[in-house]
Amino acid sequence: MWYHRPAINEELLQSLPDLKIVASSGVGIDHLDLKLLSSYGVKVANTPFIVSTDTADLGMALLLASSRRLVEGHEMAVSPDTGYFPADWLGVQVSGATLGIVGMGTIGYKVAERAKAFEMKILYHNRNQRKKEEESAIGAVYCKKIDDLLRQSDFVLLAVNLTPQTCKLIGKTELELMKPTATLINISRGLVVDQDALVEALQNKVIKAAALDVTYPEPLPRDHPLLKLKNVIITPHIGSATKKTRWVMMEEMAESIEAGLAGLPIPREVL
Amino acid sequence: VGKKVQAIYLWWHKPVINKELLQSLPNLKVIANSGVGMDHLDLKLVASFGVKMANAPRAVSSSTADTGMALLLASARRLVEVRNISISPSMEYCEADILGVKIAGATLGIIGMGSIGYKIALRAKAFEMNILYHNRTQRKAQEEQAVSATYCEKIDSLLQQADFVMVVVSLTPQTHKLIGKRELELMKPTATLINISRGAVVDQEALVAALQTGVIRAAALDVTSPEPLPRDHPLLKLKNIIITPHLGIKTDKASYMITEEAVENILAALNGLPLSSEVLPS
Repeated sequence: MWYHRPAINEELLQSLPDLKIVASSGVGIDHLDLKLLSSYGVKVANTPFIVSTDTADLGMALLLASSRRLVEGHEMAVSPDTGYFPADWLGVQVSGATLGIVGMGTIGYKVAERAKAFEMKILYHNRNQRKKEEESAIGAVYCKKIDDLLRQSDFVLLAVNLTPQTCKLIGKTELELMKPTATLINISRGLVVDQDALVEALQNKVIKAAALDVTYPEPLPRDHPLLKLKNVIITPHIGSATKKTRWVMMEEMAESIEAGLAGLPIPREVL
Repeated sequence: VGKKVQAIYLWWHKPVINKELLQSLPNLKVIANSGVGMDHLDLKLVASFGVKMANAPRAVSSSTADTGMALLLASARRLVEVRNISISPSMEYCEADILGVKIAGATLGIIGMGSIGYKIALRAKAFEMNILYHNRTQRKAQEEQAVSATYCEKIDSLLQQADFVMVVVSLTPQTHKLIGKRELELMKPTATLINISRGAVVDQEALVAALQTGVIRAAALDVTSPEPLPRDHPLLKLKNIIITPHLGIKTDKASYMITEEAVENILAALNGLPLSSEVLPS
């Protein structure tokens, strides 16, 4: 299955009596009803680790592009109307700023490793605190309460998976806790953010900017306010979209399918 | 009024420092530049009037290195193209339009390993890139090891191996058109050129040809010659290019630090003390 298609529901499962395995691209499995699949005796596999590096890279790419106004800058540089570059046109400094990572799994940790090289101060919020060695390796400080992270961060990056607990994790309250100079970066799932609250927050300058690789739905309806805001960058869910990674994902999915069909232990099985 | 002026703080090359201006300011003691590049100044001319010059090297390195990485990432992941897809009326695209280049494991060749080049190496290492560098002189072994960088005495060797070539030299007569037709042809056809130094370091006509014919994959330029480019310039029409308006040091923090550095130098000059970042005509 690729980008959530086909939709796996009861009708489909009933029409495929010999279905043994569903191999899903990427790491997220929020689009799959695992209980339903299990009840039909169908196994599930994903491609969890191969996507981590590219997704972390994209998180940093969005952070840098947003803070330095890269897209706006490019448009100015190539626009037929541009006569000169204004001297007071400034972005926000990344080096030395504070990054708050919400969700410190494999992807979150890789983002932290990259951010450290930019001399950023790193805060993180996670269900569990990481081991001391892992924290010291990247100089990350644990925030047991997400509020503390939100109050102190110049950049808030979401790297959680989507579960009932993380749905609308970032809503009106959380956005209001953030600094008015802060940027929200989402590389997790659109539903982790209360999108209507985000639109309002951006329109009213409650936060400075947002950079989203994920929205709900994907794609957004063409008249959605997020598409019109100047202080928003949206990318079409390209976290893992590099040739090399897509190649490996395909190989991994094929491997899992072959094992599933042969009745062997399935690599990257989701239980 | 001219007689009262003792110091000039140059902001983005203004005012233009020429013979007339210098003659009209007999009590001028120091010109402090907002940035590190001094290629827009006639150093010998200024020195001949007994005026000291200073730049602001400390404040620029981090934000310029950040810009280099921002351009590398934006180009590799096709950020401008895919963002335009995201907001386009039809949102129709095929997978091939959005697939980018994996950065981890790719080779970055840094041309010019001064403070900015070194900060780029520190950042690129965290992205698990292989790092090659070319410089007038080789860095110390410890410095190389800290960023796992390999020295290429010949620029050709760097150009042939790199997936991303980042140009971070200062503009001098020796680096003028450093990257020309020959250098571009040595690069891999899958490689990307990133320029955060000065437009004149790259032979722009050769670059246009190289990008149009697929000699290299793409380019990302924070600097061009001139800035901005004339609106009918071929570089503006290419699909495989990102151009940014010289935003290397254009951040709130960097502007502040640059001004602080300049003021330090100005006060030192006015008080007859040594300048912390004096620039002498070579």
